[in-house]
Amino acid sequence: MQMYDAIVIGARCAGASTALLLARQGHRVLVVDRASFPSDVISTHFLWPHGMSYLNRWGLLDEVLAVTPAHTTVEVVNDGIRLSGSVPPELLREYFRDLHGDDSGVVQSYASVRRRVLDQILVDAAAGAGAEVRTNVTVRELIVEDGQVVGIRGRGVDGEPVEERARIVVGADGRNSFVARALDLPKYDERPRCTFAYWSYWSGFDLGPAQLHRRGRLACAVVPTNFDQNMVLVWGPSEWSREFRADVPGNYQKALDFVSPELGEVVRLKGTRQERIYGTLDQSAFLRPLHGPGWVLVGDAESAKDQCTAIGMTHAFRDAELVSAALDGWLRGTASIDEAMTGYESRRRSQNAAAYHDYVCTLAEMRPYRHDELQLFVALRGNQQETDRFIATHADVAPVSEFFQASNLFLLNDAAKESSADHPVFADFAETSRMYQQNLFA
Amino acid sequence: MTIELDQREDGELIGIILQAAGRGDFETMARTASEVSEMTRNWATHIPWDDLAALDGADGELARVVEDLTEMWEPAHLRNPVDPDEEYALDKNAYDFYRPAGRNLLTRTEDFYDWVQARRRTETWQYSRVLEAAPDSVAQITNDLGRRARGINFNSQDYLSFNTHPAIREAAARAMHDYGPHSAGSPMVLGNTRISDDLEAALGDLVGLDHVTLFPTGWAAGFGAVVGLVRQSDHILIDRLAHSCLQQGARAATRNVVRYEHLNVEAVRRHLTEIRATDSRNGILVVTDGLFSVDADWPDLVTLQRVCREHDATLLVDVAHDLGSMGPGGTGVLGMQGLLGEVDIVMGAFSKTFCSNGGFVASRSPALKQYVKMFGGSHFFSNALSPVQTAVVREAARIIRSPEGDVLRDRLFTAIHALRDELTGRGLTCMGEPSPIVPLLIGNEKLARTANRLLFDRGVLAFMVEFPVTPTGSSRFRLQVQAGHRPEEAREAARIIEGALADSRAYLSSAFGSAPR
Ligand SMILES: Cc1cc2nc3c(=O)[nH]c(=O)nc-3n(C[C@H](O)[C@H](O)[C@H](O)COP(=O)(O)OP(=O)(O)OC[C@H]3O[C@@H](n4cnc5c(N)ncnc54)[C@H](O)[C@@H]3O)c2cc1C
Repeated sequence: MQMYDAIVIGARCAGASTALLLARQGHRVLVVDRASFPSDVISTHFLWPHGMSYLNRWGLLDEVLAVTPAHTTVEVVNDGIRLSGSVPPELLREYFRDLHGDDSGVVQSYASVRRRVLDQILVDAAAGAGAEVRTNVTVRELIVEDGQVVGIRGRGVDGEPVEERARIVVGADGRNSFVARALDLPKYDERPRCTFAYWSYWSGFDLGPAQLHRRGRLACAVVPTNFDQNMVLVWGPSEWSREFRADVPGNYQKALDFVSPELGEVVRLKGTRQERIYGTLDQSAFLRPLHGPGWVLVGDAESAKDQCTAIGMTHAFRDAELVSAALDGWLRGTASIDEAMTGYESRRRSQNAAAYHDYVCTLAEMRPYRHDELQLFVALRGNQQETDRFIATHADVAPVSEFFQASNLFLLNDAAKESSADHPVFADFAETSRMYQQNLFA
Repeated sequence: MTIELDQREDGELIGIILQAAGRGDFETMARTASEVSEMTRNWATHIPWDDLAALDGADGELARVVEDLTEMWEPAHLRNPVDPDEEYALDKNAYDFYRPAGRNLLTRTEDFYDWVQARRRTETWQYSRVLEAAPDSVAQITNDLGRRARGINFNSQDYLSFNTHPAIREAAARAMHDYGPHSAGSPMVLGNTRISDDLEAALGDLVGLDHVTLFPTGWAAGFGAVVGLVRQSDHILIDRLAHSCLQQGARAATRNVVRYEHLNVEAVRRHLTEIRATDSRNGILVVTDGLFSVDADWPDLVTLQRVCREHDATLLVDVAHDLGSMGPGGTGVLGMQGLLGEVDIVMGAFSKTFCSNGGFVASRSPALKQYVKMFGGSHFFSNALSPVQTAVVREAARIIRSPEGDVLRDRLFTAIHALRDELTGRGLTCMGEPSPIVPLLIGNEKLARTANRLLFDRGVLAFMVEFPVTPTGSSRFRLQVQAGHRPEEAREAARIIEGALADSRAYLSSAFGSAPR
């Protein structure tokens, strides 16, 4: 019977990348997925600069950029207060040094790569690196001996049985992870409040860099993606989802018009929708145990969270680098499995990671911005350095706690160049806030 | 790619499948499932989309599928809401209320008050507890719901246990007898007494600087020194984590404030060079703490002072936490780095080791002294330390200098090491260096607030710090050790704290520990 060093279940951002990196390190890897590629998965597929940097570190970025538009600045508009900025390269380098010990391959650009494009590139790269890739294989059972996971059983597309063994099984099988279910793993740090998200693909206009708009409890994003299309997304508090769902196309446009009348008009007058509208309400955040005898989790399987900061794919890449480095040490015999897994765990469960988890989950509640929060956005205008640092914080490049500390925030407020008088949202703020609490779709 | 536009949205399809499941109509289930988008299928792989027709309810399989589909169609939290008070109390931090909305100053404070009330009700509000008796290594306290607790006390700033020291109490009584309880005026008018001069001399001796000014609080000393000296066109470089009185003094004095990375002397050098490249005319004040009160670490003051001199900048060091409690002869971080008499401006507070209110500013310059008295508003326009306070601090300074001071510091450090070792041995993270402040890193505010609630009844008094004292996401317990703590008490406390943390983690079902970044 053939014996692999590692079997990876799931062949997308987390799985294909892990397989790719392990195979490049010379290990015998099998990666399986029940899907066949190219294929999509629920995801609006925006990649922040550190996500792109991972691809660059692995030598895959050019292939992505050959078919995908990329930019360096983003526009963030909150209740009409416009900020525009980029993630600073020095913070990106610091991120990679802190987390991975080297800062090679850093790029400052971002892109939105359709999953049918990106995941195919990843799967091909894994195969190219020598990993054995089997698609259309559904894993239905973990082989456990003496309390240790030692392999998988499943079946292929025509129902033929599959059984393989390895020294470690990597669960890269997404938020509904089969591995986690089979092992009956608990969920930690659950944050049920989340957003509903609906999006589709539109041709007919080109608005340049990505735009993220937020007004009251609703938000929308327009991001250029592959095939000369734009991914147009709306999201809001899941408490409103029942009413939204009553008329998805109508409310999708209604949300756009509410959050940004200009964008709503562009989409309505110039846009041609190319696909159905996709959506989900099922995005509550959680963490799972990271590893145990014979198994380890990466990507959404170990930690899923709301889409509102568009970070899941980048985190999946991060996990792939962390776990493959850890497993490499163990497979080569330079570290015990305990040492390897403790190292992985300490990075994944660090204080910064906890703070970011809270940040995303709180944002996902989509409460209307308070006066002080909007005031902060006003204060950031005219201070490009801090605006960029804020964007980096939002994207999980810079630690949340370094931006959100008293002396920084108070100082920013004191040094603000603009006053709230220039922004209509402050005019009748209490009234506006009350209006924002009303469900637009009811 | 051939995709039909008018295909139904997945949510709707799942709704239809669920209805069909309710009727036992497997045929509709299967037919509708085939319409579900590839995206959703690849994501919701736990649903056997291809096998819906084959489900027959055996082994509860159908029930499980229905449950999974329901979760997608209508997630659990839409069905069962949680306790809103607790949710509100554990979320949010004080900054969320810093810029209240509205033009009515009275009514716009109400949002903040609601949040505080939610935290009170859920017993996660760590502030405003009161003492029921003299604080010692053990203390009895009441929280603001009126609940009482008794515990090993890591919540009082009395590093050398002077509160129970007979000589200190005797000094207070004598001053009370001689002068009465008065604070009868500003030190600039008739607030000081003969012993105020004695105290200034004793402090000057302790820090090696001749010219000392007393302030009614440590906060007033820090704020007054900065706003007294710095004008709008001057510059301030301040350690990101320097004490609030200095930060607020800086903000009040000038807009030219740079908050440099904590402890980073190279960053200071860089900023000084930049400032001097364009401004050779105005003053620069560089501000740092000696021992940082929330991180328990300290800067390389030798290099910092040298770098300041090279750029004609002035250094101010706040020794509030280290003076008296550490260093040779109680000289604090300055003494440890051989800098007595060498630092431009030293300020401190009496509230940590000296068993009283009050603070001081010291330098080698009589002119600076006279200037700060006049223009640091918190000196001129505040009443002076009372004679009782003055006498207590003077006696404390005497003991700190005496051999007994060394004995007390030895005891203090024995307890500090016991506490740190025990916490660390239990896998918890103590920040900084051994000092009377032992910061136990928690990180996540929810976890810290919940642990704080549990700890109240378990025999340890510890202060939980969060924003604005710490940055968000890096809350901690600040344990303040006393010479009177026995090592067994410290170890016992560590054991109790670990238990409270473990239980909080279980309560919140949290996977985040206190691992450093
Ligand atoms: C609405 C929405 C929008 C999002 N937008 C963004 C965004 O803009 N940017 C971003 O970075 N992230 C975004 N995310 C998050 C991102 O999609 C995920 O974090 C990411 O897909 C996780 O990658 P993964 O490899 O861990 O899991 P997945 O991408 O879910 O891949 C898991 C794979 O495992 C396979 N699998 C599962 N079970 C089995 C089995 N038993 N046998 C074989 N194979 C199996 C599946 O077929 C699947 O291919 C979004 C998520 C949602 C829900």
